[in-house]
Amino acid sequence: MSGIQILQDILIILLAGYMTVDQNGLVIMSWFPVIVGTITGLIMGDLHTALVIGGTFQLMMLGVAALGGASAPNYGLATIVGAFVAIRTGAGINAAIAVGLPVGLIAIQLEVLARIICNFLAHKMQTDTNNHEFGKMRREAWLGPLLFSLQTALPTALVVLVGPQIVKFILTVIPKWVTNGLTIAGGMLPVVGIAMLMHYMPVKKFLPYIIVGFVLAAYLKVPVLGIALIGFAGAYWYFTSESRKADTAAAATTANNAPVDNDEDDYDE
Amino acid sequence: MMSDQIQKQNNPEITKKDLRRAGVRYNFMAVNLFNYESQMGPAVAWSLAPILRKIYKNDDDYQAAMDNHFNYFNSTTVMSSMILGATTAMEAKDGIQAKDAVQSLKTSLMGPMAGVGDTLVWVLWPTIMGSISGYMALQGNPLGAIIWLIANIVFWFVKVKMFEVGYTSGTKLVTSLGSKMTLFTESASIMGLSVVGALVATVVKVQTPLKFQFGKVALALQSGVLDKIMPALLPALLTLLVYKLLDHKQWTPTRIILLVIVIALAGSFFGVFKA
Repeated sequence: MSGIQILQDILIILLAGYMTVDQNGLVIMSWFPVIVGTITGLIMGDLHTALVIGGTFQLMMLGVAALGGASAPNYGLATIVGAFVAIRTGAGINAAIAVGLPVGLIAIQLEVLARIICNFLAHKMQTDTNNHEFGKMRREAWLGPLLFSLQTALPTALVVLVGPQIVKFILTVIPKWVTNGLTIAGGMLPVVGIAMLMHYMPVKKFLPYIIVGFVLAAYLKVPVLGIALIGFAGAYWYFTSESRKADTAAAATTANNAPVDNDEDDYDE
Repeated sequence: MMSDQIQKQNNPEITKKDLRRAGVRYNFMAVNLFNYESQMGPAVAWSLAPILRKIYKNDDDYQAAMDNHFNYFNSTTVMSSMILGATTAMEAKDGIQAKDAVQSLKTSLMGPMAGVGDTLVWVLWPTIMGSISGYMALQGNPLGAIIWLIANIVFWFVKVKMFEVGYTSGTKLVTSLGSKMTLFTESASIMGLSVVGALVATVVKVQTPLKFQFGKVALALQSGVLDKIMPALLPALLTLLVYKLLDHKQWTPTRIILLVIVIALAGSFFGVFKA
């Protein structure tokens, strides 16, 4: 193994560990596959392959969000592991999906585990605070990011250190219909995120806008950015007309009532 | 404003630098101390530790205030920066007497603020940026990813600044923002749903290679029948199916993902679907 490959291995494991810390806090790179994929590509020296893999997982991930403490498949980790294997073994994009997707799904369990372990840390920090050991509590907090970084660094290390050859072997053994099936699954999977998205949003209230977007894309082949702009026009119109309505309603109530002194509920005045 | 002067009179020691430091700490730690019991609680306590130390000179008061912040908390960081800025202003003004008011303000605002913030920050923004940059990436173009990265850096500074905004404008702004934010989220949903409609047609890919054979004439099911009824008919039907499945509690997203993989594998084995 050449020196440059060892350096790449180390950087990939560090990137995977940092990804979770960033996703949990700064949200600059986060776990967004295209951004993670770009950095993976720069490390591995093949931006194009990494971008195509990142783009594939990005589309699968649309609408998938880990909200309010829920866990979701880690498509960012799938991108790192998938791009690493595909570039190192030259096995191509189908292999990246076949390897990356299972790893991204397993990552859910590791996240749950990390959060359970973090419960003990939280109790320790609180106990130390109540014992007036404030400095100790502040230092202990750094174990949190360290713990969460392992959730992605460990599986990546496993693939990087023992993986590529085994993965390549497994991929040659897997029958064609399975890799083909996983590629088909890759095409279908964005549906999960999109359907979840529809559940968060007021679909029934704004149904016409979904239909407009669908028709513009399916029949007229308008690119996504164009449809987003049309959506923005609709949003702008709705916001201005509704807030004007709200303002006139508010003005009407104020005119009917005597001027209200609302100073008492202001904390800052 | 009045509020600035009063706070300065009571607490000349809280500087802009202290506020920025608290904002930076919170927007770094956020979910990095997440646990199922108190969720973001420890991160809030850790983030506020230096600024509260300045407010509470007495160790017992400091311990009581910190202990209070270890309680359950969960909200979107951009919004909770502002909430925590406002509660810090309360503590700077009234000291440990504000403890219960701080707790109730945090509890009452984190839910609604998370509803607004999560939709915008974790759902709409990544969906729009993700679909645009995802398609660029498929063609090997990193431009979308780079623009997204830069936007996230700018957004991080906004989040840090929000702590200061919450501190200087106090509870009034934070509470009154609630009503306007609902309308704002609804408007943003309109843009989001237009994109969702487009994504159903373009991102979800289901195709069948099946053919009907009438003597010597072959009719391809995909191009000859389904596409004639409606383009992207199968993706639309699959979306409807998954949307309905999500109504049932036992169909978690992870189970649905596994179901889709099983359907795809079976479809590949029997030659019903093609890539």
